[in-house]
Amino acid sequence: MDPVERLYLDAMMEDPGVPARSLRPQLLAGARARRRPAAPTAPWAEPYAGRVAAMDALLASAEDDDWSRVIVEGWTLQELVAHLAAKDGLLAASVGAPVLGPPMGATDSLGRTGDVQAYERARSPEQTRRDWRAQADALCRHLADLPPTTPATLDGMEVPVRDQILARCLETWIHTADAAQTARIRLPDPVADHIRPTADLCARLLPWTMLLSGLDGSGRTLRLTLTGDGGGEWQVPLGVEDAGPGTPDAHITADVVAFCFLLGGRGDPAEFPAELAGDLSLARDVLTTAPALSGP
Amino acid sequence: MPVEAPYDDRLLHRRVVGGDESALGEVYDRLSPLIFGLALRVTRDRVIAEDITQEVFLVFWERPLAYDPERGTLRAWLATIAHRRAVDHVRAEERRRVSALGPRLFEREPARLEDTVLAADEAERVRQAVTSLPDGLREAVELAYFGGRTYRQVGEELGVPEGTAKSRIRLALRRLADALAEEEV
Repeated sequence: MDPVERLYLDAMMEDPGVPARSLRPQLLAGARARRRPAAPTAPWAEPYAGRVAAMDALLASAEDDDWSRVIVEGWTLQELVAHLAAKDGLLAASVGAPVLGPPMGATDSLGRTGDVQAYERARSPEQTRRDWRAQADALCRHLADLPPTTPATLDGMEVPVRDQILARCLETWIHTADAAQTARIRLPDPVADHIRPTADLCARLLPWTMLLSGLDGSGRTLRLTLTGDGGGEWQVPLGVEDAGPGTPDAHITADVVAFCFLLGGRGDPAEFPAELAGDLSLARDVLTTAPALSGP
Repeated sequence: MPVEAPYDDRLLHRRVVGGDESALGEVYDRLSPLIFGLALRVTRDRVIAEDITQEVFLVFWERPLAYDPERGTLRAWLATIAHRRAVDHVRAEERRRVSALGPRLFEREPARLEDTVLAADEAERVRQAVTSLPDGLREAVELAYFGGRTYRQVGEELGVPEGTAKSRIRLALRRLADALAEEEV
């Protein structure tokens, strides 16, 4: 911070101003008009609503050129936002929430992404931003009245809607980070209360990432220590059909945000900063296979 | 050297980025007296100062990623915006007044404080350095900075020639820089 500003502040502190408290309600009303707050939703969907609001904050700062810059998968920012809207729309369709954008044709992620991207290409970036936000908020509103255990299907995977929305949270978070990196903007992490359930989902996915990579972790248990805000400790049974955790065979300690991003396909498992103990080859297998479920 | 914001600032920032309105309310409760006081002191107009206060917090809400907690406190960031807007207002008012009075020599040489004051890590040290200045120097530097006043206006307010005002401000800044540099070592 500019030292001059500090100089000024400090002189101010000797002579504090009269509080202008009466402005508070006006301020909050004005704020809502300038940038929509996170959509009200069920508590278990709040991590997703928060990441949608964060992405929207990033998009608020995007200039004309930013929208046509390639972010990931060869997609521009506008196409990336359309991709998020496409997957949100598929989840919405699966749980009976309104589906916005073009009529539903393809029902797989990539097919629907192509349809929504083609539709949004004819619209302005600002319209695409509004369409994506409207879809996300409609989904949030619908989830407010839904039990978290309601089955929901995306790309053929049927799991409780609570886990589907946490996966949407992780993907929205990761793509916001992708866009922030391109724009050279530092993106703050979500609050701990939002990181924690996302990390929990990632921990529970580990048996699946191993299995999908052709490794069977049945009967083995991982002790996972995730550090930082929202972290914690997990005993993870590594077989998808294991009834519960056994005695830990291996122990991995890593930063909670880095771990979520590893599952999201960001970062090289071989270079992943983690402390390993116990059965080291098992621990390395877990890390190597962790990105197996990540896609566009 | 930039100062990293305290944990509270970073937490409030995370919440505002995540669209949590109540976090904006908390930021407002904590910092609006300072921001309003600052705007009032520069503009000397309560209505304008209220507008500036509103706007400063709205900017933070709408573009929260423009603030980077790794580079300083939220307090200083908001104050920077408030100060800039308040000084802009004063200068616009002045231009209007001057053009209403008709043509006259109107020169402006904004004080380049930032060129002379060395970076300091802690607000308290700067505050102490300012308070320890002799009255004449301190008044001059405050007038130049608070009102976005020109050297000439500082001279008028202090009842000294413009050149004297200029050298007082420069001397004050040099002393501040020295005092802060000494503590850095």
